[in-house]
Formats: sequence, structure tokens, C-alpha cells
Amino acid sequence: MNGLVTLKKKRKGRGDLPLLFSVVTISLLGLAFVYSASKYSAEVTYGDEFFFAKKHLVGLLIGYAAMIFGCAFDYEKYKKISLPAFIATLVLLVLVFSPLGYENYGAKRWIKVGGITIQPSEIAKICFVLFSAAYFSKEPRRAKSFIGCLPVLCAGGTVCLLIILEPNMSITVCFGLLTLAVLFAAGMKTAHFVIILVPAALAVPLLIIAEPYRLNRLSAFLNPWASPKGEGYQLLQSLYALGSGGWFGVGFLNSRQKLRFLPFSESDFILAVIGEETGFVGLAVFFALVLFVIVRGIKIAVKAKNHFGYLSAVGITCIYAIQSLVNALVVTGSIPPTGLPLPLVSAGNTSLIVFLFSFGVLYNVSRSSSSD
Amino acid sequence: MLRKRLFALLCAITFIFLSVLCRVFFVQIVDGKSLQQKAVDQWTRDIPVKAARGKITDRNGIVLAENKQSYAVFVRTRIVEDAEKTAKVLSETLGVDYEKLVSKMRSDSVSEITVKRQVPREVTDELSKYSLPGVYFCRDSERNYPYGDSLAQIIGYTSVDGSGQSGLEKRYDEYLKGYDGEILYEADLIGKDVKGSSAKYIPATNGLNLKLTIDYEIQMICDAVIKKVVAEYSPKSASVIVMSPKSGEIYAVSQCPSFDLNNVPRDDTEFLNKVSRCNLIVDSYEPGSTFKIITSAANIEENLKGNPNAFSANYVFNSNRFRYVDGRKIKCWSTHANGKHSNERLAEALNNSCNPCFVDIALSLGKDVMYSYLDAFGFGKTTGVDYGGEAIGMLVPKSAVTNGDLARIGFGQTIAITPIQLVAAVSAAINGGTYYEPYFVSEISDESGRICEIVNPKSLRKTISEKASETLRGYLEDVVTKGSGKQAYIEGYRVGGKTGTAQKYENGRIAQGKYVMSFIGFFPADEPEYIALCVVDEPVGGKYGSTVAAPPVRDVFEGIIQCKGIKAR
Repeated sequence: MNGLVTLKKKRKGRGDLPLLFSVVTISLLGLAFVYSASKYSAEVTYGDEFFFAKKHLVGLLIGYAAMIFGCAFDYEKYKKISLPAFIATLVLLVLVFSPLGYENYGAKRWIKVGGITIQPSEIAKICFVLFSAAYFSKEPRRAKSFIGCLPVLCAGGTVCLLIILEPNMSITVCFGLLTLAVLFAAGMKTAHFVIILVPAALAVPLLIIAEPYRLNRLSAFLNPWASPKGEGYQLLQSLYALGSGGWFGVGFLNSRQKLRFLPFSESDFILAVIGEETGFVGLAVFFALVLFVIVRGIKIAVKAKNHFGYLSAVGITCIYAIQSLVNALVVTGSIPPTGLPLPLVSAGNTSLIVFLFSFGVLYNVSRSSSSD
Repeated sequence: MLRKRLFALLCAITFIFLSVLCRVFFVQIVDGKSLQQKAVDQWTRDIPVKAARGKITDRNGIVLAENKQSYAVFVRTRIVEDAEKTAKVLSETLGVDYEKLVSKMRSDSVSEITVKRQVPREVTDELSKYSLPGVYFCRDSERNYPYGDSLAQIIGYTSVDGSGQSGLEKRYDEYLKGYDGEILYEADLIGKDVKGSSAKYIPATNGLNLKLTIDYEIQMICDAVIKKVVAEYSPKSASVIVMSPKSGEIYAVSQCPSFDLNNVPRDDTEFLNKVSRCNLIVDSYEPGSTFKIITSAANIEENLKGNPNAFSANYVFNSNRFRYVDGRKIKCWSTHANGKHSNERLAEALNNSCNPCFVDIALSLGKDVMYSYLDAFGFGKTTGVDYGGEAIGMLVPKSAVTNGDLARIGFGQTIAITPIQLVAAVSAAINGGTYYEPYFVSEISDESGRICEIVNPKSLRKTISEKASETLRGYLEDVVTKGSGKQAYIEGYRVGGKTGTAQKYENGRIAQGKYVMSFIGFFPADEPEYIALCVVDEPVGGKYGSTVAAPPVRDVFEGIIQCKGIKAR
């Protein structure tokens, strides 16, 4: 009980306010650019230029509430609920294939309950991170043996399998990378990495061959000009948007590519609109902001009071970092196009709420850090 | 150890971020301009503004080719609200297939359908009453030829989209076509106008007008004459050309069979190809006796120059019907019986069109001298007339020519020439010795009438002296007054000329009963203003050029005398 007293004292720490400030800034930028990117198509399709912006604002407000909760709620309590929470997400992931599942753009990625659609794969990430952190913090030495790592590997593998069946290649890849990052941070041996990486590397070509559209996308990525109206279209439109931006961009609200030329301009490809409207300078500033958040997250992990805090902080930071990077790589045509939202920015409320909540948890970890 | 791993993780993330930033730099700054260019293309939609094609007129301003204002109707499928209704209205007013139109409008692969071209104004007015969204008109010009069956080979026709396909329409397409303009306006992906954006109007530059050397009055005469020849002899083809021997301006070209420029038989390409080419320019034939004018010109000039191998005007040719050249017999078309073709000097040789005399001249002058005249008179090369596809003919190269060949060339065999070559060469022989390039277009002007280019007669070279030319004119006038060209004689007027009858070859052998009849005439004989050549291919009945081809030339000249009011002397 003595420990609890000391913890209570520490909790009075101010925590990492620059982190919170940056996260809120990014999310507000998100709202602004969702409005900008969607106002034309919203006007044309729904007769209301604020249609998507309003939806996003709702998500943002719920997200802020979730973040405040995350900030205030003692993160150590997640230890106990992490396993049931993780199992619950697995159930949600399975429910996607049930009649509750909601299909869109040819993939079953959502569950629709009473007019509200949620994307379980977004929730799975934070639950997995907390679950793994709880598992390793119970006995940190587990990471040293392959058998000890196996439960986390299996958990990650199961989620990957369920997501790839939706199908959702990009989130699967992100999730795989997240699993690896968590194991790496937990201290898994290098040799063990080789054992799991080799089969994973072999699985990639198989997954590509399994779905013909992935092969098309791959070839479209290698030469988008070959089919500018077909598979290469999305990528080219993204490049046109970025290219039109130049150094300083065409100015806020002035994107031309969002006039329905660039599909998913308010969600997966919002970065292209930001690039078009604010130019290279704008994107550089945005990346700096994102990197700043990541650096703060790593710093919080280093200073975390215990192993659970450490792993939770690394995990949350990694989800954010991996997804931001993959999205940026897709938008700039550096890797084959996949549908993945830009965290905190893209329209898509499940992702937005979960990320804001996760950053709340991260902040909570920082409040009980060992620095002060 | 875990701190180290975190540091490595952070380094990796930072590194990838910097890489992405580099990539962004390349996309936005290095390739930015070209990407933006491509993007701008898709941001704008344009409605073409068709340039009006230039007019073609004769030398006096009579319009030979003009534009009938019409419209092209097209549909932007994505803007169409009610495909069925739109298709129904369009198919009813334009007479296009309903089913096809509907299926095209429903297909995602096309964003724009050209429904029909060359739709008259009244019909588009009717259409616009329905104000169908997605249906647009743009100016489209339909070519109209007021005298469509006249000069068809020369003027030529255009394709449906208005580019020249044959004749002068093709040759001068660059001048006639002009440059299309467009109306640019900003639009979103599906072509909906963007509110508040301004349209940009780039006007069309209309095509330039051509003024021809053609004199439509003379053309009408020629057309009538050719019709008469065809009615009388039902030949494979018949053509006549009238030119100014003093300048090379072509006054008229009439050819049969022909076609109507306003109703081009586009489906029958073989037929179209045959009737749309000007035989007189693109086809060569063996001229026969008309070529004797050239041999004579060479002899007269050489005689004046003092060449001992040339025959003087008083020289009397051997009256034997035969000549033996390198062991082969060449005979005159006449039997020489009963004193025919006896005591011939050059003048009589031309009157009688006696082959052996011209064999003597050709052989006596020798191949060097003969070929220098053939060259000066433009044989073995094109005349340079402004018409596509001009043929060169066939002239045995000097290095390979045998005496037998040379002997026959003397009276117009073993050589293939185009009629236009003959007209240009004979013009040079009778006009005082200057070879002019024949031409059709004399002036190019823009729509406001400002003259852009005037084409002046182009004298290419000197062939023979004025004196030799004058002598030759006298001989050729004699041919018409007392020789084989009597059929071209016009009471009170001075006409010169020469007949020609050439045998036709099929598979390398003489085809029995198949001839190309021709007559080349000019008037007034002392100071030629007009030269005309009539060529009749395989006439039925009538064995000589004198009976078949001379009367048409006389008719043409009589027609000119009448319409130009030329007084008899």
C-alpha cells in the first residue's frame, strides 16, 4: 500500500503538456482540412458543404472526451481489463463477417449498429498494445524466450488474419509492423526476429497473388502512367495534387484536385490536399509536428515509471508513427496505394476517437513519469 | 538495452520521415511544374470553336468551294440527366439510332459522344427548344461546291471533319483549314462547371481563301465539249485542258468520268480513287504525233544556230515509207501510195504527220542534241504544277537509249509523258521559247480580303529562240489550214495545232483497235493566248486524232471567241 501512496503523489505531476498541445493542434488541422477537402463533394452530393466537416466535428468532440478520460484515468488499471478488452475486439473483428458487418468499397471492414458504423480494426490496435504491455510487464523476462513471446505473437497474428480476411491489406501491414515494434521494444532476441520475419516475408507475395486487385495496384504503382484512368488513377491524382502545390501551395480551401478528381480526398488522401493547399513548406511543418509528437512519445516511454507504462507508451507511439508514415508513403507514391487514414487528420471517426483516447493514455503515462 | 532499442526505433522513424520529405520535395518542387501542367489539362473542359475553311474562287471571283454553316451535336454523358429522354429527342430530330445512343450514353468509358455532324441550323434550333442538359452544339462546317460536278478532280473533296483529301483541297489544306479556337472553362471531374470560374475564349483563325487561275466561263465550255465527246464516242475517258501559253495559268480542266463533289461516293473507294485524280497530271501516255512539235522545234532551232545536222526549211525528205534503224524497220502510218507523202519539206512533214521525216531528224540531230531539247522542254521531270501526285512519265535514260528508241521518240513513241507536260512543252515551243510552270492558284487572301500571297507566272527556262518559235507557229497554223488538223479550223481566226494518234499497249503488245486520240491547238496562231489539249482514250469509232480530238478543241476555241467577244480578222 506504500507504493500506492507514492504513486498518488507522483500523479500530481503536470505531465507532457507539449504532447497534448501538439495532438490537439494536429486534430484541429485535421478538422480544417477535412472541411476544405470535402466541401465541394459534400455540396454536390449532399447539398451541404459542411456535411463531412460536421460528422468529423462530432467525432472530434467525442474523441476529446475520450482523451480527457484517458488523461485522467489511471493507466495501470488497464492492466486488469486488457485481456478481456482484447478478447472483446477479437469478437468485434469476427462480427464484421456476420450480418452486422457493413460492406463498402468491396471490403467488409465495418460493423453497423443502429446507424453508427465502427471499424473494429482501429480499436484492435490500442487493445493489442495494452494487452501486450500487460503481458510482458507481469514478467519482463518472458521477452527473452521464444515461448514467452509466443502469446503476443499469436495475438498479433490472429488480429492480422482477421483483418486480412476483410480484406484490408494496409491495416494488416501496419498491425504486423506494430506487433514487431512492440516485441522489439519488449526486448525479444534478434534471432527470434529472424524466425518470424522470414515466414512473414514469404507470406507477402502470396497475399499479393491471392487478390488480383493487389497485383494490379502493384503494377499501377510501378507505372501509374500505363493506366491513368484505371488502377494508376488514384496515385496520379495524388501526385497531381502535390505537384500543383509547389513551394507554398495554392492556399487554404483552394485545392482544385478535391473537385472530385482525387478520390478519398477527405480521408485516406487528405495529405495530398494538405500538400496542394500548403505546399512543400506546409507538409514539412506538418511532418515536423508529427515527428515532434513521436519524439515526445518515445521520451515518455523512456521515463515511464514501470514496464507497463513503458510498453504502453512505445506501443501507442508506434501505432501513430507507423500509420502516419505508411499513409505519407502511399500519398507520395513511394509504396503501392492502400487505403489507410492519416491518424488524427483523416475523416473517419473510429480512428479519430481511438487515437485521441490513446494519446490521453500516453499523457497519463507521462504524468507518473520518473523525471520529476 | 531497451533504451538503445528505443533510440534505434526513433532513428528509423526519423530516417523514414526524412525520406518521405525528400520524396515530397521531388514531387512538389522538382516534378511540380510538369505534374501541374497535366493537372490543369484535366481541370478544364473545352468546347471547340471550328475555324471556317477558306473559300476557293475562280479568277473572276466565282465561288467554286465554300462553307455551308452547320453544327456538330455532341453529348457529355455525365451531365445528361435523363438518358432515355435525351436519346429519344436526339434520335427523332437527327435520325440517329436510338438504341445505340442510349447504350453509348450509359457506358462509363466515354465522356463525350459526337452524335451527328454537319447538322443544319434549323435542326439545332429545334433541338435547343428542349434545352437538354449535356447536349452541346459546336460550329461545324460542311463544304459546299456550287458547281460540284465541274472541276471535281482539281478542287478535290474534304473528309467529314473538313480536312482536304484530294486535289487543291488537299494540296492547300494548310492554308485552307485555319486554326480552331476553343472556349475553356473550369470544371470538376464529371464536367460540371465550377461556380465562379471564368470561361476563356480563344477565337478561331479562319482559313485563307484561294483564287484560282481557272476561268469558269471557259470551264463551262470545256465541260460541255467533253460531254459531247463522250456522247459521241463513249471513250474510256476524255479530258481537255486550256492554259495560257504566255504564263502557265490553267484556265480550265474538264475530265470524264467524273463525280459530284457535293455527293462524294466515299463508299466505293476504288471508283473514287479513279475518278478523283486528274488524268492529265497524274497519268502518262504515249503521245504519238503531237510530240512531233518538239522534234520540229529542236530541228528549227538547231538549223538557225547553224548545226549542219539539222534540216533546213527547204530540205526535201526521202519519201520512202520505211526507215531501217539498227536492222529494224520503222514505217509510216500512211502507205505513201499514189504520191502521198512525197516531196515533203518540214512544213509538209508536219501537215502529213509523216513519221519517217521525224526519224531522220531525231537520228540526224543525235541523242545529245535531242536529249538537251527533251530536257529543256521538261520531259523526264515534273512540270511543277501545284497539284499532288504529278507523274514524271517515262523517258529512256540518255545513257541507255538506242538509235531505234531515238528514232521512235522523234515521232512520239517509246516515250510516255503526261498531258500537262505536253501542254507546257508546246506552250514553250510556240510562245517565243519560254517554259512556264503551269499553275492553278494565283492568289491567297484572308477572310477580310487582305492578300497574303500573289503567285506570279514562273518562267523556268528558255527553250528555243523567238525566231524558231515564230517559224514553228507558222507550220502549225498550216497544219490546221491545210493539213491533218483541218477539223480545228475556224473561219476568220488563226488557229495552230497538231493531231496525235497513239496506239495502246497491253501486256507489252500493241492492242488492236485501241487508241489514244489527241489534239493540241492554240490561237491566235501569231500571238497565242490560249492553248488547249484534248485527249480521248479509246474512242469507239473514229480512228484518228484529227476526227475525234480536233473538233472538241475547235469547239472550245469557238466558245472562248464567243464569250470573250474576240473579233475575227
